Amino acid sequence: MTRILLVEDNEMNRDMLTRRLSRHGFEVRCAPDGPTGVRLAEEDSPALILMDVALGEMDGWEATTLIKGRASTAHIPIIALTAHALASDRQRSVEVGCADFDTKPVDLPRLLGKINACLTPVA
Amino acid sequence: MRILGLVGAENMAATKQRGSLIDRVIDWFIPPELKAEREKRQLARMFLISHVLGPFLGNVVPGALYFLDPTPGYPVAVLATSITGFWVFPFLLKAFGRYNLLSFISVQNLIFCILWSCYYYGGVTSPTLPWVLTIPLLTFCYLGPSPKLRLLAFAQFGLNALAFVGIYHLFKTPLDDTPREALQGLGIVSTLACLAYVAMMALYYRRILDSGVELEAEMRGHMATAAQLRRSTAEAERASAAKAEFVASMSHELRTPLNAVIGYSQMLLEEAEDTNDEASATDLHKIHGAGQHLLRLVNEVLDLSKIEAGKMELAPQELSASEFLALAAERHRAPAEAKSLTLRLDLPPSLGFVFWDADRVTQALGQIIENAVKFTDAGEIDVSAVRTGDPDEETVVITVCDTGAGMPAEMLPRLFEKFTVAEDASASKYGDAGLGLALAMALCRLMGGDISAESQLGQGSRFRLALPVRAPLARTAEADAERQAA
Repeated sequence: MTRILLVEDNEMNRDMLTRRLSRHGFEVRCAPDGPTGVRLAEEDSPALILMDVALGEMDGWEATTLIKGRASTAHIPIIALTAHALASDRQRSVEVGCADFDTKPVDLPRLLGKINACLTPVA
Repeated sequence: MRILGLVGAENMAATKQRGSLIDRVIDWFIPPELKAEREKRQLARMFLISHVLGPFLGNVVPGALYFLDPTPGYPVAVLATSITGFWVFPFLLKAFGRYNLLSFISVQNLIFCILWSCYYYGGVTSPTLPWVLTIPLLTFCYLGPSPKLRLLAFAQFGLNALAFVGIYHLFKTPLDDTPREALQGLGIVSTLACLAYVAMMALYYRRILDSGVELEAEMRGHMATAAQLRRSTAEAERASAAKAEFVASMSHELRTPLNAVIGYSQMLLEEAEDTNDEASATDLHKIHGAGQHLLRLVNEVLDLSKIEAGKMELAPQELSASEFLALAAERHRAPAEAKSLTLRLDLPPSLGFVFWDADRVTQALGQIIENAVKFTDAGEIDVSAVRTGDPDEETVVITVCDTGAGMPAEMLPRLFEKFTVAEDASASKYGDAGLGLALAMALCRLMGGDISAESQLGQGSRFRLALPVRAPLARTAEADAERQAA
């Protein structure tokens, strides 16, 4: 089963997305904050990370930078999730090395499309 | 503003003084370069009052001498001529300016008159000697606060005194044939004239001083008003910022529970659809739809409050107008076709490149097209665009035409206000227009453009969205205020 790490500080969002993704056949692990996300990325070696950018002290951009900076986790594709569809957020996500970018609230079919695109190796 | 207040107060003071004839005469003599500065104007006024009225009082002395001296010869004539000569000074001032030079020449003439009359009538015991007191009085009335000029004035006194003492000692005192009683009479007349003269100068000085005090009081009033105004403005700005902050954080706080409502209903809806639970699916659909409607409103409120607070930033980028607009319009094809409407696009490649914030233009245009879809039951929606205007002020005008219900002309002016709804019957039929058009307008204005609407009831509507080819990088509320002020 494909393992996804969801880094999200809002409990309800975490619960919903976990259940919805599980129903589509993913094994979802959750991290409620940046440091936990960075740790789980190393321990669980998930196939993909969904990163909420508006986290607590360590924000999603920082966590992404850390994950991308470690040799053991640098290869894991990360999709950034933000509440705003701002061009600046989109640009930032590219800068820190995210594979893609999506807005909340999550449009599940669209997110699934992006997840599958990230998991399918580009020819 | 403070400077304006000052000038205003000075003008008012000047108007008040314009009342009397002597003031008007005196002000007429003041050259413009002296008029401009308050300090210099006051000095010139002292100079002029002394020269206009002084000779009347001064000539009392040669006048008295003419009658008292049994042989009034050239000494009296010279004295009278010199004193009368003071009347020339105002005209010289008017014609040439050179205020300081004239002041020194005038003082020199004064010293000459006094020493001349002393020399011929009594020497150091002359009855005209009290006039000596007017020398420093006048000198320092005329001259400004410059230490250099004051030193020069002292030098002038000293040299004159030296010259006088020298002449007194070297030359024989002229034979004074004026009788003793006549000299006494001269003493009384001369002292009275001198007294009147000094009193006149003192009174006039007092008057100028009073007008200064008045002016100062007025100025203080203006400054207090300005300070008050600054405080009020700052307070209003704080209140406005606090309001914008409140709306922004409120909108943000509303979104979290709203996302849960939308998310969970979406999740349950997916499950219900999977298990073919149609009854639940219908209800969940309604919850989900209502949640999304609410979220949209919250987002629009947030955007509007951001624009109003001047905190909405634009991120323009180069775009191919026809491709970009087609992409933005295509989003509405599915909703239009769901209502059996035709979406027709006329976006030629000749529109060229534009420098826009893609998200914001999509949002504004989206509101207009969505509005058109919403209020049209049959027919088509036409979206077209042209590029117009001068090379440096090029504009792309996007027109959205529908064959919908249209609206009465009286509704058009209020169309872009927040929460304007179609009248009565159609309101319940079509629901509210909400914040959509107000937001579209606010976004367009932010990007330096505008929206206009034409419509007739039952004849469809035509919205024109004009956007400069180059959107400004950032616009603030202050810049807007400045633009409106200009």
